[in-house]
Amino acid sequence: MEVLREHGEEEEEEKKVFVISNELQDLEEKLSKIQVHIPNVVPEFDWSTIDTSQLPASYKTNSAKEQMLLQLADNFHRQYAHLCPDRQPLFLHPLNECGVEKFVSTTVRPTLQPYPELYNWDGCAQFVSDYLTMEPLSSPITPPSYLPSPTTILKYQRGNCFGFGVLLCSLLIGAGYDAYCVNGYATREICMMDETREVCPLLEKSKQVLKEPMKEKIKKYAVKPPRDLHSKFELQQVAKKEADTEAAQKKKKKEEEERVMEAEKPKPDPLYGLRVHAWVLVLSGKREVPESFFIDPFTAHSYSTTDDHFLGIESIWNQQNYWVNMQDCWNGCKDLTFDLGDPVRWEFMLLGTDKPLLLLPEEEEEELADEDLDDFDKEEEEKGFDMPSSWVDLIQVSRKEFETRCPQGKKVIQYKNAKLEKWAPYLNSNGLVKRLTSYEDPECIRVLEVKEWFENREDMMNMRQLNKKTEVTTEYFSPGHIQGLKAHTYKTMEPETERTMEFYSETRVDGLQKRVENAKEMTEYFEGRSDFLHYRHTMFGKRTKRAQKLLVNTELNARPIVQIKEQFHRNPEKPADEDVAERIFMILEERIMLTYHCKDDYITASKKEFIKRKDVDNKGNKIIMTSDMCISYRVGSFVKNKKLLHLYEMMLKLTEAEKQLRHQVWESETEVLEILKIREEEAAASKLTVSMYDTERNEKSKQQRETMERLMQEERQRQVEQDLDYLAPFLIQMGSTEKMSKWQALRLKEDCLNDFKHRLIDKANLIQARFEKETQELQKKQQWYQQNQLSMTLEDEDAYLTYCSDAMFCIRILEIRLNRHKEMAPQKYIELEEKLCKDPRLAEYLKFNV
Amino acid sequence: MSRLYDTIEPNVIDEKMLQKAVEEQGPQEELGQIAKREGIDYKDVIELQLDFRNILKVDNLWQFVNLTKLQLDNNIIEKIEALDSLVHLIWLDLSFNNIEVIEGLEALVKLQDLSLYNNRISKIENLDTLQELQVFSIGNNNLTALENVVYLRKFKNLRTLNLTGNPVCENEQYSMFIAAHLPDLVYLDFRLVDENTRELADIKYQYVIDELKQGEAQALAKLVEEQAKQKELEHHKAAYVEYLNGPFLFESLYVEDTEAARLAYLPGMADLLETYPSSKFVLICENLFAYGLKEHEKRQAEVSTFYECLQEAIQDSQKQGTKIILDFENDNQGLLDVIQNMSSFEIAESKLVKYNEDISQVSDTLMTLEMQTVDQLEEIIKDFERNIADQVSTFIENVQGMMAQCRDLENHHHEKLLEIAINTLEKIVKSEFDEEMPDDVRLLFVDKDTIVNAVNASHDIHLLKIDNREDDIVTKANSWSSSVIEEVHKNELNRNRNRVREINQYSDHLQEELDNMESLEQME
Repeated sequence: MEVLREHGEEEEEEKKVFVISNELQDLEEKLSKIQVHIPNVVPEFDWSTIDTSQLPASYKTNSAKEQMLLQLADNFHRQYAHLCPDRQPLFLHPLNECGVEKFVSTTVRPTLQPYPELYNWDGCAQFVSDYLTMEPLSSPITPPSYLPSPTTILKYQRGNCFGFGVLLCSLLIGAGYDAYCVNGYATREICMMDETREVCPLLEKSKQVLKEPMKEKIKKYAVKPPRDLHSKFELQQVAKKEADTEAAQKKKKKEEEERVMEAEKPKPDPLYGLRVHAWVLVLSGKREVPESFFIDPFTAHSYSTTDDHFLGIESIWNQQNYWVNMQDCWNGCKDLTFDLGDPVRWEFMLLGTDKPLLLLPEEEEEELADEDLDDFDKEEEEKGFDMPSSWVDLIQVSRKEFETRCPQGKKVIQYKNAKLEKWAPYLNSNGLVKRLTSYEDPECIRVLEVKEWFENREDMMNMRQLNKKTEVTTEYFSPGHIQGLKAHTYKTMEPETERTMEFYSETRVDGLQKRVENAKEMTEYFEGRSDFLHYRHTMFGKRTKRAQKLLVNTELNARPIVQIKEQFHRNPEKPADEDVAERIFMILEERIMLTYHCKDDYITASKKEFIKRKDVDNKGNKIIMTSDMCISYRVGSFVKNKKLLHLYEMMLKLTEAEKQLRHQVWESETEVLEILKIREEEAAASKLTVSMYDTERNEKSKQQRETMERLMQEERQRQVEQDLDYLAPFLIQMGSTEKMSKWQALRLKEDCLNDFKHRLIDKANLIQARFEKETQELQKKQQWYQQNQLSMTLEDEDAYLTYCSDAMFCIRILEIRLNRHKEMAPQKYIELEEKLCKDPRLAEYLKFNV
Repeated sequence: MSRLYDTIEPNVIDEKMLQKAVEEQGPQEELGQIAKREGIDYKDVIELQLDFRNILKVDNLWQFVNLTKLQLDNNIIEKIEALDSLVHLIWLDLSFNNIEVIEGLEALVKLQDLSLYNNRISKIENLDTLQELQVFSIGNNNLTALENVVYLRKFKNLRTLNLTGNPVCENEQYSMFIAAHLPDLVYLDFRLVDENTRELADIKYQYVIDELKQGEAQALAKLVEEQAKQKELEHHKAAYVEYLNGPFLFESLYVEDTEAARLAYLPGMADLLETYPSSKFVLICENLFAYGLKEHEKRQAEVSTFYECLQEAIQDSQKQGTKIILDFENDNQGLLDVIQNMSSFEIAESKLVKYNEDISQVSDTLMTLEMQTVDQLEEIIKDFERNIADQVSTFIENVQGMMAQCRDLENHHHEKLLEIAINTLEKIVKSEFDEEMPDDVRLLFVDKDTIVNAVNASHDIHLLKIDNREDDIVTKANSWSSSVIEEVHKNELNRNRNRVREINQYSDHLQEELDNMESLEQME
């Protein structure tokens, strides 16, 4: 299935061969002189050295059925080679890790994993791509000769594209997908897992679906627009000019783009179309997959079946059958149809698997039936044969392995102008799980932006974004931070500098949604307040010098407020011209301006302006309120101003409000300081939380569980002890237990106690005997030592000393045990007696005894 | 002591008393000074206390239209009166008076708290309109009948009830009865109605209560049904086709027709009456009915589209206007202050002139915009007018056509009837008629004129009815169209006037501000 095959030039080539071979020799000589500096790479992993001794028998031998299958496969392959001599040999039965030939379909082991993340195809693909390390094929243009089982691949966490494909396919089929392993050809980027030309999927901006503005239906009574009195010619001229400049700009831009594209274009691949790759095909139908697609197991990306990266298909297989593609792949995979029931396009190996013959129009059915009959005779042999079950063990992934994901819990992927690093959760002490560094240039030197994702942090931070150009840091938080923090954008942690804090307004009592600050202003946005406030803007003046010296944050020391502006939403319960829309407190000028909401059908809003003046009139009386202290404009009413009484009341209220506002502003500032403090503490501590359901990591619960288990164990032991029936041997001696006289009972008790006494004494004697023996031996040794002390070597002396200390230790232990036994024996004796008295079998008889 | 009490004159609420009370209870201190200087409008008073004033007759309260709380306790009032204008009242205290009958409270629909403690009332009544009532105190009165309390079931919001000191409380069933009959009550006689009592009471009075409930539910269902019917009829009336969805019109033809009843005895009439009426006539009526409803919907749709578009256009123009004003205000924000503080008199002067010009320019722009809007609206109003007129005239034409069909049927019937009548007459004349006939019918067959007159009279009555019905529809349709058009014109005129006035007011306000400043400057 080579795509670029140079047929015509073969003859000419032969002539050239001789010349070339000479040149080659020269080249070889030259090359041999060059000292190649071998880079320090981790030595290649060798599959032949792995330990296969633990593997089950099915890995090492073939069953009869498998043998037969292999024969069938060989037969099939011979026929195939005969029919299509110019095609590559099929990938049918590579060696497994034990060196045994296994048919590829039996290598697929459908397994459903117990993790919800692995129930969908994207999760499976991501897991496979993260969990395994990619190994290139030893020869990029031929399929490998070996194919280890998915379990082995999982164990060693590495594999080539075939290994990846088979593992992913097994998981997908296990999860219910109609998935197939594909053996075919792909571009270099796919085969080598080279994503440096791809834009990182995290950087791709979600394509915003531009909604076409609904063309408004021209209504019956729509007003006509006023007549346009502009010269059309002039407009045309202007438009023309604009179009010209725009076109020029576009051209320039295009050229620029082309240049960049040229620079980025990959070098032409000499092996284009020959590179072997294996990937996964998911057919539509099962699990509500609407359309067939490919999954590249290396990168876990899905591609449409018409994607440019896939250049041809040799064969596909699942756990049930093997199909060879009989369609021409001159145009990559674009023209392929994946109707596996069509024997013209897909040659199957085993007949009678349940893959249906589908998508055939009705009228052809009869004809087909005849053909089927013909085929039937030919392939009668094969008809009864179905695929043997897989020789591979169940694929098992432990929870820990599943969580660790990447080998050693870390993985780095290079994208176009970006680098993505991944870590397993809890691997980093600060909870870092992902970091995306984007660069300005393709060489990845000048950093543009760093994005870091966190998990399980106690301060609920889930992402941090650092823009290197502007030096602005933005931290994003999940719901649950103490102060309801949602995002925090800042340059420095210094207070009273530029920063933006966003909050989860629904969790806050004051409904604060955002607070934007800089040195001179503070703007707060609110949501869902019952007083309809939605905006507050405060302007600050400069601190007086003396105040600056004081470091304590008191209300006196706060920055002087110049102006506070508040805006309110419309309160539907009040009439519009009594519902304040905006109020501005000009604190320095001692003025208060009110603007009301616009009434329906009016275009101007009512206004009021209060000027606070504490004057004394010419008679010396304090002026409380005069009409010129309030300038008001009331829409749509010609009644003279409201009574002074009301105005004065209003002013009193406003003055009070102003006082409170100043306090609130101070509180806001304090809150900012507090948050900054908390953030600093949290950043320094960077603690991680552990879910109470996480049995592995939750130390406390683990300890608790362990102690509980231990207690259970002890309890059980005690139970066993208690259950020991001390009366049993004596009861057997006596024969029937149904009827027992008092005398017998007493006797029984006596016997039992006597026996126990004997045991205790025996035990004591035993210990005593051992103790004496040890002491004697020690004494002998000591005598011997004293006799031979002079003629002894150093080594012997050492041996003697160690023996002495050992013996002393033994003696001491025995002594202690003996003492303890002596102490305990009477107690135990009494205990047993009590027990016997309480024993239900004896109690009856013994109670008269007392 | 008693002599002193006797000498106190009974009072009537008068101007002086009110004035004093308002001043005493109004704002104090600094506010009070201002208030005193200006005087207080009775309209603005929200709470008023008139207790211990020996009032006998309530009067002069009509000015306190915004009053929400009124205390008239500890007087000697004998009759509740003159409270009809205090419609915002929420709290009314009439305790410790001499009231005998509950009355005169019908207008106080917002009342939540009513106290009639320590009076001489013997029956709870006349409170039907007070649906908001929450607290009701009627202790120390002469209530005797326990059944009277059932009256309070109507008040769905009633939570607190005070009945202590009434003869009714001596009944041993008292608290049980009330707990059962007023299930939503929370406090009775200042005590929480506990769950235990309520459960016991529920069991005890289960049957009575169930019956009561059933009766109430039935009444409610009936009311709902009636309302639905009424609504449907309203809808039909709006389409001018009420009572046309059946044989109503046909039946009405014969209601006042005495002749027809007599003529019905003619031989062969039975057959004729059977063929003529119900089927065809009713069919036409029903057609008319359906057509009328359809047309009505069409007209409504037309009107609503028009108003929608009108609103849109007005909104647009408002938005533009608001934007112009906003731009202007933003441009000139603080300008006056700047001018005031400017050192150079000349520059300030020039700025002032500029500002002056700006003001007039803004006002001009707004006016132009308004003129343009008026033009635009006028155009669509004309369109609308034309369309409505067209629609109504088509409707009328079709109605007339259908009515003509009815008339034809009637004419046909008339001819047939006449024929039968003459035949019968001939038979009678020839004495061939041998069937029984009542005497008054036989009287008609004295001669030809009589019988023909009788038949004609019946026919005329029928025609008149049909004509009347037709006229009715036509006049109503016409008057509707003219009223709709008139309303549109009126609204537009009002809108325009308001807007122009607003613009003028606004520019005047700006000008005034400017003038004020100038005068200030000159003073300096």
